[in-house]
Amino acid sequence: MTAPNRPNHSDLAEALRRAVLEGPGVTDAILRRAVAETAAGEPTAKSPYDDLARQIGEAAYRVKDEQVETVLKAAGSEKAAFEIIAASAVGAGLFRWRQAVKATEEASDAPA
Amino acid sequence: MRLREVERGDGIVNRLLIRFLSMALGMRLPDAARVAFYHKDFFGRPMGAWTQAAMRGPSTWSVGERELMATMVAKWNSCSFCVGAHGAIAAKVLERQSVDATLEHFRTAPISNGLKATLEFLEKMTLRPTQLTADDAREVLGTGVSFEALTDAISVAAVFNIVTRYADALDFVIPTPDEFDGAAGMLLKRGYA
Repeated sequence: MTAPNRPNHSDLAEALRRAVLEGPGVTDAILRRAVAETAAGEPTAKSPYDDLARQIGEAAYRVKDEQVETVLKAAGSEKAAFEIIAASAVGAGLFRWRQAVKATEEASDAPA
Repeated sequence: MRLREVERGDGIVNRLLIRFLSMALGMRLPDAARVAFYHKDFFGRPMGAWTQAAMRGPSTWSVGERELMATMVAKWNSCSFCVGAHGAIAAKVLERQSVDATLEHFRTAPISNGLKATLEFLEKMTLRPTQLTADDAREVLGTGVSFEALTDAISVAAVFNIVTRYADALDFVIPTPDEFDGAAGMLLKRGYA
């Protein structure tokens, strides 16, 4: 059974990726993509951003104030620090989305 | 670490909105809502659109089942705020006993076999994503869960693998059980957009 007018989750995931990892922000989009990749397990981001991004990807409940404070100082504003945190979270979440969709498509030979 | 700008809102309109909603709710507006208002074009708008579609859009999963999936992702990611918030919503539409039993041990909980198999998949997606294979998906599809329903469940888990991470990184304040219950009523009524 399929619900009528189901949302297109792939489009919604892509819209989120574009806004957070490519769209305008106070931080450079290259930095946002680097922390997203680091949170997804590919250590692309450089110090001092790498530590927080890795921590958010692996176990965000263990993030320490000092890790956010370090990024806040380096990034220069709360809005910039927020962008780094959001990009890291999105990187980890979309990595899982891609892995799960790939497994599902391979099992059914149909696009999500 | 908490960010003061997220706490109080960016811009006068959002600051007034946060105050108004806190008064209307009779409690401190939860941090999840404050993040939704903050830097909205960058994050709140696209994140809210996907969250609303995943949690309230057309799907063969009920709202309660999707809230239960969100609660389980929060549990696997050790996010106390999201376990409390989404467990409270799930308990409003499912039995509280069923929610608690699922949180305790979903494999023996009084939920459908399709939902159990789906949760098995979502657990691996959350904790060991690189190990997910087509066989894992086939296990779920073999219980009668459709391809579309599995994709809907995956979208819920993806969204909450994002939400739980910023909730903990931003050190969300944990409301009381009564406050979670009050906010749950609002989220059931108004959704996430």
